[in-house]
Amino acid sequence: MGNNAGMKNMALAILLSALSVGVANAVDIPELHGFLEEAFAPRFGEDNTAHRQFNMAEGRLQLKTKYYVKGDNILADWQTVLTAKADLVLDMYYGGKVVTDLRELNAVMTPMDIMDLKIGRQVLTWGTGDYLFLNDLFPKDYESFFIGRDDEYLKAPSDALRVMLYPEWFNVDVAIIPFFRPNILPDGQRVSFFDSFQGGIAGRNSHRTLDEPARQFRNFIYAGRIYRNFSSYEAALYYYRGFDPSPRSYKDEAAMELFYERLDAYGASVRGPVMGGIGNAEVSYYYSPQDNAGKIRTVQNSMVKYLVGYEKDMGGDLRISAQYYLEETLDYDEYRKALLPNDYRWDEFRHTITGRITKLLANQTVKLSLFTFFSPSDLDVYTRPSITWNATDSWTLTIGANLPWGKDPWTDFGSDQKNKNVYVRLRYSF
Amino acid sequence: MKNIMSICVVVALVLSAGHVRAAEVDDIVAKANEAMYYQAGDGRADVKMTVTDSLGRTRERGMTILRKDTGVDGKQKYYVYFHQPDDVRGMTYLVWKNVGTDDDRWLYLPALDLVRRVAASDKRSSFVGTNFAYEDISGRGTEEDGHTLLGEENGMYKIKSVPKDPGSVEFSYFITWVDMNDFIPRKAEYYDKNGTLYKTIEALEVKDVGGFPTVVKMKATDFNAGSNTVSEFSDVKYDLGTDENIFSERFLRRPPRQYIDKQ
Repeated sequence: MGNNAGMKNMALAILLSALSVGVANAVDIPELHGFLEEAFAPRFGEDNTAHRQFNMAEGRLQLKTKYYVKGDNILADWQTVLTAKADLVLDMYYGGKVVTDLRELNAVMTPMDIMDLKIGRQVLTWGTGDYLFLNDLFPKDYESFFIGRDDEYLKAPSDALRVMLYPEWFNVDVAIIPFFRPNILPDGQRVSFFDSFQGGIAGRNSHRTLDEPARQFRNFIYAGRIYRNFSSYEAALYYYRGFDPSPRSYKDEAAMELFYERLDAYGASVRGPVMGGIGNAEVSYYYSPQDNAGKIRTVQNSMVKYLVGYEKDMGGDLRISAQYYLEETLDYDEYRKALLPNDYRWDEFRHTITGRITKLLANQTVKLSLFTFFSPSDLDVYTRPSITWNATDSWTLTIGANLPWGKDPWTDFGSDQKNKNVYVRLRYSF
Repeated sequence: MKNIMSICVVVALVLSAGHVRAAEVDDIVAKANEAMYYQAGDGRADVKMTVTDSLGRTRERGMTILRKDTGVDGKQKYYVYFHQPDDVRGMTYLVWKNVGTDDDRWLYLPALDLVRRVAASDKRSSFVGTNFAYEDISGRGTEEDGHTLLGEENGMYKIKSVPKDPGSVEFSYFITWVDMNDFIPRKAEYYDKNGTLYKTIEALEVKDVGGFPTVVKMKATDFNAGSNTVSEFSDVKYDLGTDENIFSERFLRRPPRQYIDKQ
């Protein structure tokens, strides 16, 4: 009897292991990776947002997986890779609300030797700036940036078809984005901001509305880039046809309604070795078709944006970098003439200088970083110190701060001055 | 007595044929550099690096490295795909190694879809937090040091190398033992500005891979920090006929699975 039971168990074990090997071979279960993170950002600064004590208190689970299409089909022939990445957030800022955030769900394929396609939800990035974006008009999440989430969350995903061509002499990158997604900017709920309708920094007392472009074929967004290397130097040309991702124009002032005006951008950049470091330069011309002469006071004028940057490795795991950025409003005389007596008047030139220092310590397991924005024309500053400790290969502790200051409440960082915070993030990666 | 004899022999040889020796040592160094970093025209390897700190705690780095020689002035291209640790999985790294000037380096961060250009003037800095320097992985320009043959020991040439630009490195000199048969360096000792030994790199295991002698296990030890890194190379392959196009932005974004996936 005992013997018989043993035999049965053994047979069962053999059957089960044979089955599991068979299943694993047939289905080829993709690997699942991600992280679990707790984040908290106590704040100092009095305003009218939902919580005075903190900007962020959340638990986050990120899961990501890849699947390589196999078998005798066209997708396998095109070496298709499916990627999915989603975050599940328990957001204590909003009373424990559970938020799902699909970051990526896309297919990458190579239908031709010289062509790759990426279809679906994806993060899009190009350009040469460090936290400064000229030709990269893809959506950003500045709210995440200001409250101390990981840099990954500064980029909001787009639903896009991306066509990448690699003929012999240059590369072409085209993104077609059917539906506009605006930048996620402070709106007074979590992070206060300058609301021109309130005439000052506003929180939940803001009553403005933002009018997004209609979901129509004519409102599709097209972004393109042509780039190539000239030995160690990278050169690129850029094109964008879409909408300003930040609401800068007024649709109906009485109704406190803002909108995202049409925007075309044409740009260029170079990047490469300069004096023992890396130098970069980028320019972009923003054409505002709804106010091409600059005479309409409620619609953003055309602009030119310029950037030069330099980064150097000083040795001993110390890196420093600096950028100079200039925004020039075109048709400025027309703009001034069009203003009414009580309007805010923006400067013709807005200058910004940034500096970054990064130092690695303890076999590169500790990273000290300090990034500072300073505008001598706006007289505002935003500094972001942080320390990251990779305690083990799995555990990472990050402590940092967001410290914006400004003379006036209406400038970029002055408008954010009530949101000084420190943040702590503890992450377990798997 | 025997030692004194051999020193006398070496001194006599150096004195009598200094020019010949200088030419010979440069030839040995060139052959060692070739054997260590330029086997075949291209290759791949899965690399596991285990860093052990002074308290015995370990960290692991896992990556696949592809290499292709361009055939021009010793230039090479390297492609690195990170498998481990978890927070860097999927990141890719591209190095265009230049001899005599700074390398060109790019890092791709998939979460941001960001291709970052990496300033890379310090080749002595640690490679991904291990006890290996960038130069230990991709080679140090042989022309950057003056080389002297100190003698022969146990079938190995013993060579002293002194940097021509001492300010650019943290060592004052290093001594390498190069196997007389296969020209694979078996050990290197690095001495600081006070003449104290502070770092060694040892080839723990050398295997024949398709006719090319290959270091498949090596160890770097830092005596000041009390830490060491063991690097193990598996699934080493040469003469893959890799397309040079792989070493470009396109493949940073779309890793070439045929070379990266473990076979």
